[in-house]
Amino acid sequence: MGLPLTIKGIEMISAKLFFITILVVIFSTNILAQETETKKKEFSISGTAGVNYEYYGLSRKPTGWTGFTSRKPWNQVRFNFTPTMQFGENFSLPINFNFAMKPTNFVGPYSGIKKQSFGQFITNPMNNFGLNPKYKWAELQLGTQYLNYSELSTGDIGVFGVGVDLRPSTYFFKFFTGLSQQGINYFNGPPTIYGAYKKKNWMFSLGKAREGKYEMALNFVKAKDDTNSVVTRPLTIKPQEGFTMSFAGKAVFKGGFYVHAEGAQSFYTKNLLLPEDTSRQSFKPFIKANTSTVKDYAADFAVGRKSRNFDIGAKLKYIGAGFQTPGYPFMLPDRVDYTLNTRFNAWKDSTGNYKMNVVARVGQRVNNVSNTTLKAKQFIGNLNWFTQFNEHWNLNVSYNNFGFETPSGINPYGIKNVSNDFGVNPSYTWSNDKVIHLASFNYNYSKYNERDVITGITTSNNTHTALLTYVPTFLTKNISPDFSLMYFINSVPGFKLTLVTFSCGAGMQAMKKKMNLRSQLQYNYSKTNSFKNNNNLVASLTCDWRLSKKISWNNFISSNQFKYGNEIIPNYASYFETNFRTGFQYRFGK
Amino acid sequence: MNKGMKKIFLIVSICFASHFCIAQFNTTLVVNPNPMGSLLNWGIKDLTYIISSSAGAGGKALIKTTLKTTDGTIAATTNLARARVIAINPATGNLILYAADVIPLESISFNGKFKTSMDRSGKLPAGGYQLCVQLVAPATFQPLSEERCRTFNIAAFQLPIPIMPANETVLDIEKAKTTISFRWTPVAPRPAEMLTYRVTVFEVLVNQTPMQALRSNQPLLSKDIIGTTQYIWQPQLGLTMCSSCGENTGGDNKIKKDSSNIPKPDMDPDIDAYAFIWTIQTLDSRGTPFGDGNINSDGISEPNVFFIDRRPIEMRKSGEPSRVSNLNSARKLKPGTQLIFPPINKN
Repeated sequence: MGLPLTIKGIEMISAKLFFITILVVIFSTNILAQETETKKKEFSISGTAGVNYEYYGLSRKPTGWTGFTSRKPWNQVRFNFTPTMQFGENFSLPINFNFAMKPTNFVGPYSGIKKQSFGQFITNPMNNFGLNPKYKWAELQLGTQYLNYSELSTGDIGVFGVGVDLRPSTYFFKFFTGLSQQGINYFNGPPTIYGAYKKKNWMFSLGKAREGKYEMALNFVKAKDDTNSVVTRPLTIKPQEGFTMSFAGKAVFKGGFYVHAEGAQSFYTKNLLLPEDTSRQSFKPFIKANTSTVKDYAADFAVGRKSRNFDIGAKLKYIGAGFQTPGYPFMLPDRVDYTLNTRFNAWKDSTGNYKMNVVARVGQRVNNVSNTTLKAKQFIGNLNWFTQFNEHWNLNVSYNNFGFETPSGINPYGIKNVSNDFGVNPSYTWSNDKVIHLASFNYNYSKYNERDVITGITTSNNTHTALLTYVPTFLTKNISPDFSLMYFINSVPGFKLTLVTFSCGAGMQAMKKKMNLRSQLQYNYSKTNSFKNNNNLVASLTCDWRLSKKISWNNFISSNQFKYGNEIIPNYASYFETNFRTGFQYRFGK
Repeated sequence: MNKGMKKIFLIVSICFASHFCIAQFNTTLVVNPNPMGSLLNWGIKDLTYIISSSAGAGGKALIKTTLKTTDGTIAATTNLARARVIAINPATGNLILYAADVIPLESISFNGKFKTSMDRSGKLPAGGYQLCVQLVAPATFQPLSEERCRTFNIAAFQLPIPIMPANETVLDIEKAKTTISFRWTPVAPRPAEMLTYRVTVFEVLVNQTPMQALRSNQPLLSKDIIGTTQYIWQPQLGLTMCSSCGENTGGDNKIKKDSSNIPKPDMDPDIDAYAFIWTIQTLDSRGTPFGDGNINSDGISEPNVFFIDRRPIEMRKSGEPSRVSNLNSARKLKPGTQLIFPPINKN
């Protein structure tokens, strides 16, 4: 697990290896470029490289009103360099460089950061610097990697470091180590920087797999904060250490039957600053328990059958109250989920095509499983039923339901929220020699009941949405317009929101079909209770121009003018947003 | 008579001495009546213990803490042999202590199911408790103050779960460009204080995983909602249909088509869908993140990903309707995950 290596040592090794590899890659690419003439078949390259610039503007009236805040950075430049080089049959080199010049982090350890050190820039989740050279079954993983070992071990966190993925015969061996975040000092602000401890990660997997047949793996994941990595400690978060091990297996049988199962155990120290506690279970040498260490289990299981016209499956997942894994920091613990889902095609026509498709799912989630008196149950059911009656008519019907309920009492009453959504969407197509017409009507009714736990009174929130869309496709003209009209009404006692939207758009090609243009205009009328209505106009234009076979120039410009009536103070306030993006993309290879 | 007088004198002396000893320090205990179950996360607002010396006396003391349930079952007590000695200096005024000093996990011994729960989750089981605190002498464990007791109720709060749009839901552009409704479950059980739910939506940009977008992008929506669990968003983003969807794929029904399977931004003419990730951040009445010992301590719930299908309607109608999502979280969607709508099978 790499534990003998110190964090700083690994960091230095990772950085050195990473930059040495970059130099080797650039050098070898140059040599190969020279040799390409003579060995064309041995080298190929695909992927893209590009740069784009985005401008965002916002003006508000009256001056000084802050009721609407900016949604994007004022200026941003993003780069991407993602070629995949293939050297002969056995060696390939995918590169994944994506980075932006201005940090915009809102959630997580980097939130609020404005000036980054080089280390923080490299490990900021908004930037990727990854290389994955691969020779036959051996892959070297360098730089930023988002590795998904399993559903209960790791998968969400990007780590900057070094590792391997080796797959000799039917066996595989994976190891990766690096940093998932740098130390960031707490800063009171404004803006407040919540800060973070430097987090070092290790992950390891050993298993055996045969594609399409079976796979089993033993996974180990560890992360540890460096308590000395910050000068001013974060106020809201403690330095932590986590270790998770899991065994996952899956198998596919004849007839499309499959089974998948994973069991995991986690040890999680919630505060590394507390003293060691020998009365608690450790898992040495990977983790030593202290007084804040917790240990718990998780498991998931799925079984089912997949075929061309019929799928059915059941899934069960249990996450213990104290199960925490560094690879999934947002995982909700203390729950059991079980679901049953199906998909099938039915009703063959004379040509053998199926006319009907149904997708359905029903399930329940139980939260607070460890507390017998506080268990909350959540029911979820979905149905989507599509039928193509003939070449003119098709119909889609959907129904979604979820209910959330906690044990009931009187003052406070139990929480009870129930949502029911029903949608019906018929479409009709007709045509002549010049035009294919498509008219689609969509009606959706949504009812959302919420019970007030103090009074016990249930409030019904009702929403009706009606949408009419008309799309003529001209067979002889180089223009494709579309029109839609939407009516939306949402009401609860004492509140009523009405929205009417008219939208039209048109697309066309120019410059000998090298340029694709699409424009759109959207007007929204909205009215709350008896207040004067709000008006909103959104206009946008996209222009994608293929300058050559390999280079494209993509542009997008939009404006958004919103003017309030008298529902907010100051009355008749307004804002105007503009957004402009332009970028060049180069496509490698043929 | 003399014997009787002596006895009375002795009793009075003992009472006076014990009263003097107990009254050596005056103490005040304040406990939040509804604290979090995770003792490690108890802060200033959850427990405060104030020590003031009477008649200017100082000295050293241990804090003896007893935690009982409402039916009298002892859940935990201080192991006085391991307790930390505190120095009380009258010259420095009142000594104010917090949870880390009064219930330090390193010197508290839990019993039975309470130990099991603390070992598993670091949280006390939900229910009613009484916390009693007293100062005792370091060597003799003789009481140095009166025992102060307070009752409180532990509720194992769970953060909201984003419900609608459900994970991996695909929305039609015609509706989504006007309104998108967000619904989530409330914090359960309902806490005594008023909570704020902050709805946040992030666009997933080119070559980003949804989780990367959440952790690095500026949100398109950050709206604080109080008292309800629904928000109707009018995006006003200028969402447009794609100009060349499906041109390079040979099929009309893929929502993503490049080898990386990462949702692409509208800068790219080839994309078929906008991708977003949304979540709820819960804040308490003081505006600080609400949570009960989760890893991030930021009150952020497990997020959901949703897509806005920007293919022309005739292309969407030719294939299978948008699939519904499942109970699993956004973490399922990452590079390598297929999000392809197969057409109805044609034999």
